[in-house]
Amino acid sequence: MSVWRELSRGETTIDFVGRRRQWFMISAFLIAVSLLSLGVRQLNFGLEFEGGVAVQSPNPAGAEIEDYRDAVSELGLDDARIQIVDDGAAVLVQTGPLSAELEEELIEAITDLAGVDRAATSLDAVGPTFGSLVARQALIALGAFLAFAVLFIAWRLQWKMGLVGIVALVHDMVITIGVYSLVQFPVTPATVVALLTILGYSLYDTVVVFDRVEEYTEEMSEDHTYTEIVNRSMNKVLIRSLLTSLTSLVPVGSLLFVGSILLGAASLQDFALALFVGMAAGTYSSIMIAGPLLAAWREREPEWAEHREELTRIRDLRGARAASPAASAPPVAPKRVQTTEERPSTGAAGPPPRPPKKGRR
Amino acid sequence: MRRRLIGLIVVLALAWGGLGALTAAGITPRLGLDLQGGTAVVLTAPPDTDQELLEVAVEVMRNRIEDIGGVQEPEIAISGSNTVVVQLPGVEDERRALDAIGQTGQLSFRPVLGETSGEAGPLTGDDAPAGVDPVTGLTIDDDLTTESYLLYERTSPLTGAVVPTVLHLGPAQLRGGDVASAVPGFNTLNGQWSVSLGLTGDGADIFADLTGEAARYGLGDPRRQIAIVLDGEVLAAPEVNVDVAPGTGITGGQASITMGTSPESEQEAKDLGVVLRYGSLPVSFERSSVSKVSASLGTDSLRVGLYAGAAGLLLVSVLLLVFYRSLGLVALVGLTVFGSFLIAIFSALGALESFGLTLTLAGVTGIIVAVGITADSYIVYFERVKDEIRAGADVETAVTDGFKGAFRTILTADTVSLLGASLLYLLAVGAVRGFALALGIATLLDLFIARTYTRRAVWLLGRTRLGDGGMFSITGAAQAGSST
Repeated sequence: MSVWRELSRGETTIDFVGRRRQWFMISAFLIAVSLLSLGVRQLNFGLEFEGGVAVQSPNPAGAEIEDYRDAVSELGLDDARIQIVDDGAAVLVQTGPLSAELEEELIEAITDLAGVDRAATSLDAVGPTFGSLVARQALIALGAFLAFAVLFIAWRLQWKMGLVGIVALVHDMVITIGVYSLVQFPVTPATVVALLTILGYSLYDTVVVFDRVEEYTEEMSEDHTYTEIVNRSMNKVLIRSLLTSLTSLVPVGSLLFVGSILLGAASLQDFALALFVGMAAGTYSSIMIAGPLLAAWREREPEWAEHREELTRIRDLRGARAASPAASAPPVAPKRVQTTEERPSTGAAGPPPRPPKKGRR
Repeated sequence: MRRRLIGLIVVLALAWGGLGALTAAGITPRLGLDLQGGTAVVLTAPPDTDQELLEVAVEVMRNRIEDIGGVQEPEIAISGSNTVVVQLPGVEDERRALDAIGQTGQLSFRPVLGETSGEAGPLTGDDAPAGVDPVTGLTIDDDLTTESYLLYERTSPLTGAVVPTVLHLGPAQLRGGDVASAVPGFNTLNGQWSVSLGLTGDGADIFADLTGEAARYGLGDPRRQIAIVLDGEVLAAPEVNVDVAPGTGITGGQASITMGTSPESEQEAKDLGVVLRYGSLPVSFERSSVSKVSASLGTDSLRVGLYAGAAGLLLVSVLLLVFYRSLGLVALVGLTVFGSFLIAIFSALGALESFGLTLTLAGVTGIIVAVGITADSYIVYFERVKDEIRAGADVETAVTDGFKGAFRTILTADTVSLLGASLLYLLAVGAVRGFALALGIATLLDLFIARTYTRRAVWLLGRTRLGDGGMFSITGAAQAGSST
């Protein structure tokens, strides 16, 4: 219960930054596995990207897969993929790109066997070049988004935060795509939508975390190192991140659950998988990767490094004084003027040097 | 106090009343093809196709689709630099529609051999020659190299009424390729709209022969007309002017087709000009994708989306209630305000002709994602309020200061979401756009609700008994965990 209490009050004291090697190792391992899988197994691109024809029809006559296979083979389409879907209520036939006439014949063959009217069928016919068009446009949009996002975060918060945010985002995307490659789910336009959603979440989450870091930098920098500030921020927003992930996954989960009960729809399953993996990675990376990375990077800035040394010196001094028998020594720079933990002092009259602070607003 | 209460009531009335009014007026969100059934086609033009040509092509397609009839609200739009997206709701037999939009069509000039008024040709029943429908007396499959009987819906120059006439046409003399230029214009002297026709070198000679032959007949004789035919449809059958010499015809490769003085003549002249210039479709498209969704599959998808959305909202509400007690109540009402506004916005923008916003499956996904973002806004805010209270602030200060800090965070994070949504909408194609649009609208709505609803509602809540004291109150939620 006490862990829960600390968590809900943001009073946990996990040293996120200090254990960064551990987090980085985990991520490096996941990314390596993803890249390896991408290299070896590659991605299973769906019909919409490869080009081809998919016909889905109700199957009231209850024809068997073999019947369909025979009919389709007669048209010379031996490599067609035939599935009975929706608990046997429907049949799905997928082939490579077809000429208009062959496409007609295929639909006719299927509707004859299924014993349905043409209007009851659903059809997807995609030219071989369309997928690359969609992918290219999505990549252009992605590139533009990343560029603008870095600029925006740089302007609103801090430029290193922008770059670190992108690192976290790429981290999430690579892992998600890696899972797709491992599981060999087909990549469809729905997958692209899912990836873009993850991208949005990942950055959104990172921004919320960094916003807190930036706020604490203003409040706490007098007597805390940058690492301490980041750690405090992470612990503070931990409960929010966990709750938000929960409330975000719940609607997605219900989409998956309702979808598979009502439709038995496979497309919703892989969509939900992408979202689940991506969001989990997003929450993880915004705390475990983005924060520690930012701290490690900014601690190298001369001003912050100097500030850290200065603080260490003062603290050593204070520690020595506390340990000395002269207990009546006047307190140096009261650490907090307020009684609570959450409100670190901003007006402490102590001697620590002011760290570089961007004059915001 | 009163000001905030009134403000809150106004927002609630706007959300629920607006949705109620729209629903009462029968305006509901316009559903995309994947949710109601229909056919969507993506056509790709060669790269670097002139934007103006694309617009002309879209216009031609729209006319053709309207000609087939039976399509409610077809949507044809240019997307990106060289793709055209055609959406045909309710069209389940896609073959005719595909033919109508895809083919380039054949334009021809043909001599008129005779005409019969009415909708039936002169030769019916046993008299009908090969290729002519015995019932209607009209040619079934028009062939440019033989004679044919085609229906012409002639607009009377005097009354403006449409008079059906069947024209007996000779083989085509000129083809679309013989036309060098066709410019619609207005003659200020006689107030007539007309199309100036320019022909190529060979075309000019044939045209002179064609008109010279027609000029042998007296004024008013149907054989003095030249029929302009596109894919078996007679677009116009102008009479050769009185001053044209019989046998010589119109020489020099320049002619003017007079359309009339009525207000409709302007559009007719422009349309004819387009067809004369481009045959029919000025661009040859490649069919990139055809997607047809049967009505039952569409309805199923819609049901899934609605159930999932409702279930998601419900579960999120329960979570927020558990974690934030009375504040969760504010969030719960807020989520219904969010939902009401969203449906109202989609309904209103769908009903407006100029927007024609449709709700697609990808859009539903975007909204479900946005539910998460909205819930996060509450979480960010409520966590701040709890912090402030634990730091010793009283409830009123906590909710006011907490909002300032939280809104800054929400604004920053939402801007990033909004940025992504806008760029995706502008640059991406296909389903991704529907997703981006829904996400963008929902994100803006989130900011709006945070400012107008959440702030006021929490402030007012803080003044009631639910603000301070008791397990269920704001302070109760802030102290959660400490008592157990």
